[in-house]
This record gives sequence, structure tokens and C-alpha cells, in this order.
Amino acid sequence: MSVRERLFGDGERSGGSAERAFLVGGVCLLVAALLVFTPLAVTVPGSSFVFIEVGTLFVIYGLLVLGLDLQYGYTGLVNFGHVVFFAVGAYTVAMLSAEGSFAGVALGLPWLLALPVGVVAAAVLGAIVGTTSLRLRDDFLAIVTLATAEIFHTLFVNFRGVFGGNVGILGVPQPIADLAADSDTAQIATLVLFGGVTIIALGFMTRLTGSPYGRVLRAIRADELVTRSVGKSTFSYKMQAFVYGAALAGFAGGLFALYNGAVAPGFFTIQVTVTIWIGMLLGGASNHRAVLGGLAIIMGLRLLSRFALEVTPVSADAFASIRLIAVGLILVLVIRYRPAGIWGDERELGVDS
Amino acid sequence: MGLAQNVIFGLVTGSYIAIAAIGFTLIYGIVNMINFAYGEYLTMGAFIGILTVGVLPLPLPLAAVVAMVGGGLISLLLARLFFTPINQTGPVPMLLTSIGLGLVLRNGIRLTAGQSARYFDTEAITFRFDGLPPLSVGSVDLLGGFFVTSEQLIVMGCAVGVFLLVHTLLTRTDVGIAMRAMGDNENLARVRGIDTQRIRDSVWVLAGVLAALAGVLLGIQTNVSAGTGFSQILQILSAAILGGAGSPYGAIAGSYVIGLVLALSTAFLPAGMTGISSAIAFLILIGVLLVKPSGLAGQEVREA
Amino acid sequence: MAFDNTGRNTRRNFLKAVGAGGVAATAGCLSFGDSGGGSGTITLGQPAAQTGDWDFLQPGVSQATDVAVQQINDAGGPLDREIEVQRRDTAVNPQEARSVVTQLVENDDALALMGLFSSEINPLFDFLQEQQTPVVTPWPGSGYLDTRGGDMGTPDNIDDDQWVWRTVIGDTVHTAGGARRALDEGNDTLGVINGNSEGARSWADGFVAAYEEGGGTVAQRVEVSLGQSSYQSALDRLFGSEFSAFAVSIPLEDATTLLSDWSDGGYGRQPILSDPLAQNDLASQVGGDLDGAWAASPGQAGPSFDSFVETYEQGGDAELNGWTPPAWDAMHVTALAIERAGEATPEAIQQNLGPVSRDGGTEVTTFAEGKEALANGEEISYQGAATPTNFTNFGNVFGPVAINVAGGGEFSQEEVIPAEDIRGLVPEDEY
Repeated sequence: MSVRERLFGDGERSGGSAERAFLVGGVCLLVAALLVFTPLAVTVPGSSFVFIEVGTLFVIYGLLVLGLDLQYGYTGLVNFGHVVFFAVGAYTVAMLSAEGSFAGVALGLPWLLALPVGVVAAAVLGAIVGTTSLRLRDDFLAIVTLATAEIFHTLFVNFRGVFGGNVGILGVPQPIADLAADSDTAQIATLVLFGGVTIIALGFMTRLTGSPYGRVLRAIRADELVTRSVGKSTFSYKMQAFVYGAALAGFAGGLFALYNGAVAPGFFTIQVTVTIWIGMLLGGASNHRAVLGGLAIIMGLRLLSRFALEVTPVSADAFASIRLIAVGLILVLVIRYRPAGIWGDERELGVDS
Repeated sequence: MGLAQNVIFGLVTGSYIAIAAIGFTLIYGIVNMINFAYGEYLTMGAFIGILTVGVLPLPLPLAAVVAMVGGGLISLLLARLFFTPINQTGPVPMLLTSIGLGLVLRNGIRLTAGQSARYFDTEAITFRFDGLPPLSVGSVDLLGGFFVTSEQLIVMGCAVGVFLLVHTLLTRTDVGIAMRAMGDNENLARVRGIDTQRIRDSVWVLAGVLAALAGVLLGIQTNVSAGTGFSQILQILSAAILGGAGSPYGAIAGSYVIGLVLALSTAFLPAGMTGISSAIAFLILIGVLLVKPSGLAGQEVREA
Repeated sequence: MAFDNTGRNTRRNFLKAVGAGGVAATAGCLSFGDSGGGSGTITLGQPAAQTGDWDFLQPGVSQATDVAVQQINDAGGPLDREIEVQRRDTAVNPQEARSVVTQLVENDDALALMGLFSSEINPLFDFLQEQQTPVVTPWPGSGYLDTRGGDMGTPDNIDDDQWVWRTVIGDTVHTAGGARRALDEGNDTLGVINGNSEGARSWADGFVAAYEEGGGTVAQRVEVSLGQSSYQSALDRLFGSEFSAFAVSIPLEDATTLLSDWSDGGYGRQPILSDPLAQNDLASQVGGDLDGAWAASPGQAGPSFDSFVETYEQGGDAELNGWTPPAWDAMHVTALAIERAGEATPEAIQQNLGPVSRDGGTEVTTFAEGKEALANGEEISYQGAATPTNFTNFGNVFGPVAINVAGGGEFSQEEVIPAEDIRGLVPEDEY
């Protein structure tokens, strides 16, 4: 089955929602292009910047959670090192396109060339991890992916000549900021552009999982043995889901590098993996819009809780700890009382086994 | 560079990890979950120890016992509150719950105990063995002089004591035999009339006791702060999985492999690469999982 | 599971709860303060390490900041307005720092930022330039900032400005003081052991560069990761080489482990410590073997250090560390910049940080003195607690380096290498 057939062969499950996503995403890209390529400028009130900032990060993480959901929500693969694919995409793009970094490799190639290479690099790493580990039991895959992420983190920190150590790779081009009229416009254009990309990715995912291909993935999650017994090569299906997720994360990493203008190990900690996992479970795995909704809630809560500092009677030191305690409690409570997430379907996930 | 000396360092590091990893792997085998909050169990044990020494004041060995009792009780309480109610949901929700619990505990400790590190007040005596003849192969000296400190001997001694006690518990007592039966096949165990909830509770207590002991020992060697246990969790987890998750004997073997790899890679990696010794431990973990997914100990030990 | 029967109901209640919480949070907590241009309180932002790997350093810096604000407000405040510090946690994570900076600048209307570490500033350098808000920070030692930041010596022209100022001496400079002393003591060959965090590594890099420049040889350098339960094998490797003294650069808690291991192992030789390690805790934990070990500490011998310590100790009991006096200086120099500017805006602060700190004009050590001198129409030069606080063109400071030697379980100051000597070790246009 070719990718084309998978995406366009049978849209019965997705209905019109994929088309709608393509349309909305396309409009976003158009608006972004307008903001970037014309002298058109927008002004936004300063107080909304922090929301634009976190919103941009949200749509980038949105690509991660969509890939993770394809792996876990649909195929049942427990990937606990998703951040490594994000990081590899970002570092590849940064090292290829950066000019005059303080430390590490900076080749100064055009970013348009670097971005696809970043995607390929993440996909290749996904294929390597997949080839070696997808035959392992679920929880072992979690450990292997976690260990892979830790290994790469250690390499990034220690090999300064290549990866720039803790400083990271600086001097990455920021095409949107360079082209747009002013920094307000660049911020908005970035949000709209990345938002459009994420919505289009949502459309593709909806197509992919609504097709017969997606049904095989669900079947693997439900019962791998039965799926294998009807003649499906479950390994190659799992492998594809894993590599697609990794490539999408690599793409997200590339976008991140080109938006932030620098990459450093601090951007790619286990915290990223934890955030997207919480978001996915909170929203409800195996439902694309639900996982994005869950991610929005957790990232929104983190942001809003920072505003709560002014109205709480505790010191700022204590407040920082209390915030993290609250995040932990939310995770515990959701799993306990809404195991399928807010919008999820318990039967689909089989969590009440 | 003396090989003998580095082997001793590796054995000491392995001993810390082993004491904790036994508890971790028992939880894995019998409650069927990866407990990511386990590092915080070490931290809590270390804090109980240092409070007992500082406030009551009790001598250190007694404080360690108090910490172990406290650690066992806290572990049972946390299990009752957080893990027992969702026992049936499968490994992934439990793993995620433990991540949430870890965040809560770590920051709760930070909130109550503050941010600065505390130290146990101990003196170490060093025993030297310098008379050994060198036995050189290239630049590596296979024997060479070495030393060992009283603290290191205590850590290794505690580890051996724990191994013997755990072995006796698992082979000679009803609870221990039931634990092993449950680790092999829970349904069968239930059919045979084993009270699985009681066994799970026992495992939680035992894991808490071991974690507290490891925490106190770690606190003596390093310091006691909110991050004491968390910095060790990945090594504990690697050791347990490496040894064949669920098998206490495998966890012991896995711990010493990790300890030796950490020590030897620091000693013998090319200059400029010594900082990556922890990554080497993970590489070995992945390697073992690929060659033998059941871990070092594999099935044989479990069936014994 | 019972869940299925009540699923719908539970779910609706859950959504309701989440919704209500969200609305309450939004209504109660979003405050878009007024602009800082007019009258009323002047807000300064402080990105802080309240959680994360470096949280043990924050209490001292917070206390120094708070007592400084208190003293400045007691003296009438800049432009007769009160200063208020909004402190927000970044956990020393650049991602978190990015949104915290945005929130401080845009929502809290902070006119300047009194924090940020090297590992946050370096990858966010371009982003910080876009904020057009001065960052006056006590934290970063990184060599990256040696030639970045400041006003390029042209206070009036902000087009060439780089908005980052540090009140702590850069690693490349103060390590030169330590390296000079190591050579003067007759150590021709050294061993170096350092952690792989940015701060620890940057110190070791600066020290090694200055030491080799001065004709010394580094026989062995071992890099270790943080948070290990033992550093014995790294020490065994280090001491496999011949040298007379060894430099240690790793955060305090790990240093305690490492040097206790060193003491147990009886390796001997002269330890040279990185500046954050001159803490009595370390000396008392490691014990007598550490006697004679020394650290070249910047930032504890500035002109107004003694009066700072007096005020500081009235504000609480947080332990003083190497970043505490610079935090005091950062707050003072910023408040004086506002006073001199006559208006409270980020640009005004940026344009006046140089003039109130650099040589020339009446030397002042407190805000009250500065305010009075400025009112008399004089130019001022703030003399800080950590350093004399004469910002270079790149927004860096030079200062005397104190040599603290361990003995009897505590560190005491043995000698001070004057700021002029330190200045001579570094070319003018490279710092």
C-alpha cells in the first residue's frame, strides 16, 4: 500500500474533518506568507506576547504529540524518549545552517536544505531504534527509548567540538524574523505558520488513521497476535508508525531551531517528553484533536499558574515547588479518575482491561 | 592505572545500586510497574536518617534502622494511596502515576526541607594495600596497590547482608515463596490461595526498607538534598532491567555490571570522553536487551 | 469497572471543574499592570533558579536583592518611587526562561531583568536583544559574554547596544588571577578535574588557558558528570599523572563528595578550588586534608563589601555565595541608572548603566549617596560590594580577586590580588 493510497484511499472514518483541517491549515499558511513576504505589519498588545510565545511552543509540541499519539494511541508503542527525535532534528538543522556558532559545528548551508535533512536524520534514528527494539515487550521499548534519549543528551553535553556542549549551537538563521516587517509581525507570522503546519499535520494524521492502514494499527494495539494471524506483518506496520512519528518530531525540531535561532541541551530535556505524555493522556490517546486539547490544557495550566503567583500568600520560592506539585497531582488524578483522558474513549484504549 | 583499584570502586558503586535495585525489581515483578518515584523513596529514607541523627540524637546505625522502618511504612502508605487503587489498569498508567508522584514528592521535600544539602557527620578510615606486585599488560596494571575505606567496606557489607536476607526471605519464608510464585504467575498464585494483596503490601514495605537503607548509605557518601535519590533513578532502573526485570538476583548482577562499567569507563576511556561514562551504561543496557531481552538472569533464575 | 456506568456524569463534572478552574484562574490572576513610564511603583524582573539544579544558590541572591530593594526604597527610591521586584522561576532551563522573560517584560512591565544564567543567556542571546530590555545579571561567568553585551562605550547610542550586563567577573578574567598564583607558587604542571556543566567547564577552560599562557603544563584533565555517588575512579585516573597541584571545578555538593573521596584515597598534592567552592561547609565536611587548599574568589572584596555584609545579615540567614554580592550590585547600579536618567524606561536604564558605574565622578557606595550626588548635579561612579563595578564596553566588570585558604574547617582570606593587576592579564578589546 503506497502512502498515497493510505491517505486518500478511504476516508470514511475521518469524514470531512481531514478536509476541514487541510483548508484551515492552508489558510493559515497563506496568512503567514502574506505577513512574511509583504511589508504588511501587525501590532499586538505587549501583554499578549507571553501567550503568543507559549502558543508557538504549543503548536511545535503539537507536532510531537501527534506523532506520539500515532505511536502510542494507535499502535500501542510506548516511546519514552520522544524528545530525542525532536532534538536530533533540531541539532541537524542547526549544525547545517548555523553561521559562526560560538562552539560546535556550523556549516552555514541554506536552511531550506537543512530542514529536510533534519527530518531524514530523525527518521533514520527512528528506524535504527525501531529495528532494534520494536520486537521487545512494550515496557522494554519504553526503557530503550528513554536510554536513547539520555545517551544523546550526554553526547550533546560532552562533545563540545561537535554539538557545542551546554552552550549549544548558536547563530542559526531565523528566516521568518529576517523577512517579516518587524518583530511583532514575525511573532504572529511564526505562530500562524507553525499553527498551519500543525493543523495540516492533524489533517494528514486524521486521513492516515482513518484509512484501512489506521485500522490495522488499532488492531495491533488491541491484540497483536490476532492481527498477525490474519496475515498482517505487524512488525512493518509498527516500524512505519514509529518512523513517521520520529520524522514528524524531527520536523518539529527543525522548525524550532529556525524559530529560536539556537539550540542547546536545555531545550531538549526529559521534561519535554513528560509534558507531551501528560498532554496526550489528559486529552485522551488515539484521538488527534483530544491529544492537542490535552496538551493545550497542561501547557495553559503551567502558564496560568505563573500568573497565580501574585494572588497566592506564599513566597516565590515556595510557589515554584507548589506549581510542580500541582502538575504532578493533576497527572496522578487524571490517570486515576479519567484513565482514558478527558475526550478519550475507554473502550477504544482498552484501559479498563 | 591499577585495575584492582577500579574494580573495588566499581563494586562499591554497584553495592549502592544493588540495594536499591532489588526493591525496584521486586515492585516491577510483583506489582508489575516501573516505579519512577522510587528515587524519592531513597531521598525520604536519607532525610529520616539525618533527622534521627540530628534531632533525637541517635547513633548512625540506629538511625539507619529508624529510616528503614520509616521508609517501609511510607512506601506502604504511598502504595495504598496511589498505586493499589489502580492496580488493574496495566503498567503504563502506573508508570505515569509514579512520574506524577515523583514530582509531588520531590518538590514536597524541597518545600519542607529547603534547598541546601545536609551532611552526615562521619569519619572514614582508609586501609591501604601497597605491597602487591604490579602485573602490567601494556599501560594497564592488573594488580597494583589499592586502598579501601571503612565507609566502602560498610556499603559492601550492607549489600552482602541485604543479599543474604533477601535470599533467605525469598526461599525460606512463606511470604517470600508466595512473592516468587506471584512474580512467575499471578493468576496461578491466586488460584493456589495466595492473598495477592497482602503479598503486594509486603513487597511495598520491603522495597521501602531497601530504598531507605540505600538512601542513608548514599547520604553518608554524598549528601542529603531533595535531588539525592532522583539522580540515581536511571542507574537503578538500568540495573534492574539489565538483570532481567523482576529478578532480584538479576538486579544484583545488573547493578555490579553497571557499577563496574561506570568505574572502568571513567578510568580507561580516551581523554575528553570521561564525562560520557553514564551513557556507556545505557549503551550496555540497550545491547543486552537486544541480545537477550530477558536480561542477564533471564528465565532460569525465576524458575528456580 | 464501575466507571462505565457513571462515565458520562463523571466526565461532565470533570469538564465543569476544569472549566470553572480555568475561568477562575483567568479572572483572578491575569494582571496586565500599568506601564512603567509614569508614576507609581517601578517593577524590575528577576528570573530566578527557585527549582532545578542550581536552586541552592538562589536564596542568597534573593536575600541580597531584597535587602538592596529595601535599602533603596528606604532612601526614597529612584525618582522618589518605590522599586518592586517580580521574581519568577526559570529552573535554569532556557525554554522556561524564554517565556518567563516574555512574561516579565510584557505582562509585569519589568524595566530591567536582574537575573539569567549563562546557559539561559547564550542560546537566547538574539531573543534577548529583541526584548530591548537591559539584563543586569549577577550569574554568568561564560566566556561567550566576554565580547558580547554592554553599550560598546557609547551610552547615548543604543543602536549598537547588546543589552546584557553582568556584575560578576567573567571566568576568563578571575581565573587568570588563580592561574597566576598557581604559577607563582611554583606549580609547573597541573592536573584538572571538572564537571561537565557550563559553569564548571567555563571556569576550567579559563583557568587552563591562562595557566598555559603563563607557561604551565596541564598533565591530565578529567571531565566528570554531575551527581555521581563516587568520584574515586576519576580521581584514580587524574592522579595517574605527575603534577604538583590540581584544580577542581564542580558544583559544591559534588565537590564535597569528590574531595572527601580524595581525602579518603590519600592522594595528597595541593588542591586549587574554583571560586564557588570557598564555602565553609566544604572545609568542615572534608576536614583537615583540605587545609592549605585555596580558591581565587572574585566578588568578595569590592569597595563596599563590608557594609553590604552588614546589611545582608539583617535580612535573613541565607548563606552568602559568590553571586550574592553581585546581585546587590546589580540592583544598586540599576536603581542609580533610573535616578540619573530622570525617567524609568528600559532605554533610559540601558543608557545610564555605563555612566553611573564607570570611573569619573563622585564615588558612591549606597543608593542614598548616589541620589544626593545626582541631585547636586554631580556625575557618580558606583563602588560595589563585589567589584568597583566599572562596566567595560562589553558590560563586564573587573575586580579584585581574594585568595581564600582553607584551614581548621573554614576558609579565610589570605591576600587580595588588586583589580589593576587582574586587568593587566586581559587585553582591553577582548573583555
